[in-house]
Amino acid sequence: MAANNTPAGIDKEQAFGMAETEMEYRVELFNRLAQTCFNKCVDKRYKESELNMGENSCIDRCVSKYWQVNGMIGQMLSAGGRPPI
Amino acid sequence: MAASNSENDSKNEIPSSSEAEQPQFQAIRMPTMEEIRAQEVWNNCAVRSVVSGVMVVVIFAGGGLGFFMGMFLGALDNPIMQDEMTGRQQFVYNVKQMGRRSLSSAKAFAVMGLVFSAVECVVEKARAKHDTTNTVVAGCVTGGTMSARGGPKAACAGCAGFAAFSVLIEKFFDRHT
Repeated sequence: MAANNTPAGIDKEQAFGMAETEMEYRVELFNRLAQTCFNKCVDKRYKESELNMGENSCIDRCVSKYWQVNGMIGQMLSAGGRPPI
Repeated sequence: MAASNSENDSKNEIPSSSEAEQPQFQAIRMPTMEEIRAQEVWNNCAVRSVVSGVMVVVIFAGGGLGFFMGMFLGALDNPIMQDEMTGRQQFVYNVKQMGRRSLSSAKAFAVMGLVFSAVECVVEKARAKHDTTNTVVAGCVTGGTMSARGGPKAACAGCAGFAAFSVLIEKFFDRHT
């Protein structure tokens, strides 16, 4: 029985629940990221179907900054537990 | 409508009665690394400017522009030496002059196209916006460098003229698409 459990003592159902939460979080992150950068970078008057180079570099920068901010905030929340004022 | 529905139903082997719109929509497919790299090639400024320059030369040569420009520019200052050469030799000489002139103007046009495309690409990448400002700046730089020999005044005039010309061309193409 000790061989079945992980050292942290998490059973299968708990691990499954955590994986599901993680999956939901990832999907939400992807959807938010795509929507934010699309609304910010792409002009709504669609003149052509391909991305311009300006929109391309805008999306690159937007995704990079979003990811950085996400990582930073995740670190702050996971380390302190209490957001610094 | 009924025929296409039965065709789609026969394609779905997994019975999915819950999702009525499955035949219409497909799953989102992320692009593979090869597709991304193939698209990234076209985003490179150097590649784009070289292709633009080559396209200018091809259009110039293939569209007969080179022929006509050589003919008209060659007719402007043509030393007609009637007493030295016969008619046939004169004709051959005229054709050679025409070819030389059209080649030099083709080179000038290619350089113009290359510089314009390169500057526009760099400016658009730096600003991360698709605007007419990119075209204006690129036109100004191209016109300025082409007529920089004549001094600062000629450079300013060339800059303004070529910027206005390229904005007009851009608006013309925008209305058609």
